[in-house]
Amino acid sequence: MQAKPIKDGALERALDRFLSDDRHLILGFEKGDDGVRHRIFHASLDRHTLLNPFFDVNGALYLRRLFSKGAKVMLLLRPCEVRAYHELVKLSQIEPEGVIAVSVDCPGTVSSKDKTEGVPLDARGLADYFKDPDRMRPACRTCGERRGVVGDAGIRIDKDGVSWAFSYSEKGDSFLALFDCDSDAAPPEMLLGESPKPETFQTDMEQFSRDFSKCVLCKNCRDMCPVCYCIDCLFNGDEYLPKGDALLNKVLRTGSEAMPGGKEMFHFIRMFHVSQVCVGCGACEEACPQGIPLTKYFKGISERLQGMFSYMSGRDPGETIPYLTFLEDELKDAED
Amino acid sequence: MEDQAGKNPQIIGFACSFCTFKASEMAGSLRMKYPEGVRLIQVPCSSRVDPAFVIKSIFEGADAVFVAGCHPGDCHFIKGNYFTRRKIAALKEMFDAFSMKEKLRLFWVSAAEARRFVEKVTAMHDEIKEAKDAGKTN
Repeated sequence: MQAKPIKDGALERALDRFLSDDRHLILGFEKGDDGVRHRIFHASLDRHTLLNPFFDVNGALYLRRLFSKGAKVMLLLRPCEVRAYHELVKLSQIEPEGVIAVSVDCPGTVSSKDKTEGVPLDARGLADYFKDPDRMRPACRTCGERRGVVGDAGIRIDKDGVSWAFSYSEKGDSFLALFDCDSDAAPPEMLLGESPKPETFQTDMEQFSRDFSKCVLCKNCRDMCPVCYCIDCLFNGDEYLPKGDALLNKVLRTGSEAMPGGKEMFHFIRMFHVSQVCVGCGACEEACPQGIPLTKYFKGISERLQGMFSYMSGRDPGETIPYLTFLEDELKDAED
Repeated sequence: MEDQAGKNPQIIGFACSFCTFKASEMAGSLRMKYPEGVRLIQVPCSSRVDPAFVIKSIFEGADAVFVAGCHPGDCHFIKGNYFTRRKIAALKEMFDAFSMKEKLRLFWVSAAEARRFVEKVTAMHDEIKEAKDAGKTN
């Protein structure tokens, strides 16, 4: 496959060329004194870095409800963030016209809750560091696509640590055109290979209740989920999680004295609602103050449910979300 | 939870107003009986049933839930029940992952099939009751 090798500061030159227009922005990572964070770069590429081994927020969250035209935004993000961006485009939450999504190979990330010292920042160092999978977050350990093969273009890293820019669409060609070098044949094997197929997720209600018993219903997991986008969330009203008068009314009307089993219902419903669009980034678990293993459930269920329709969220912007389409001749055994 | 042994199971049914709900009315006018624990909720189309309704019913005390609509291809709104089929099949898969597959069923019952409606609902009720009684004696 043809690609452009990125050597000797070629990336900086290309990105500076892109930023020379005042209406052009880059959403990427900034290297700070205490770690690496998301940042919008405007005019200058000061402290920009390509890889971010610390996961705190899924960057697609910052793009929600981006509808303006005219400005151009380049995303230099992880594959899971670009996949979430694709899902939000499908859900009409982002106008993709001015966005160039570039996914960068992601060797894995550590949780922002863990110690962050001693984590290398370059690709090969990271690949070595994450040879021990226990150092990774649970979500990255079971990542379905860590290669930069999604989006308009991708930056992939070969075994010698050299980056290569690939184009996957017309917008990707314009990204490649920013580089002043010539195309070359990319090596067939890159640093990161294909991820193994996940096992089928199976649990039961006792285990589920045990794991979620610590939940305090702060709803951080919902707020930080990049694809949980409804403005009028079901759980904002009194119908599903009654309080005050609504709670009294419910007790008096139904005769049920038990406190509403809200947290289990909340996670169950949310699990179904995001099932086809969940990219398994683990931002929910990152946001959870109680340390509940949310990724295990949300990712397990979403992989199982997406597998029913041979769908993978965010893989291809041309695919339709399975619940929004159908085939006449399918699921013959759905009826009991 | 108080001791519920011997109690009839509570079953919530979401019934499409153009077919299954009509079938239930016809069953009534034909003096056919279906179990008392079954409570029907009329919905304008089976695809109106957000899986959240089903999950809420289960977590607020229903022993089982069924969703019933027109046969595929016979939807009053042309293609509503194809969406139902996808959503409910996925929800069943999710219930299966939590080892509670028996709590949700999907039926296709047309407006003329009063007998089929009664048979389906009674069979479901009996199976749930059996499973519930077996669970209590253990």
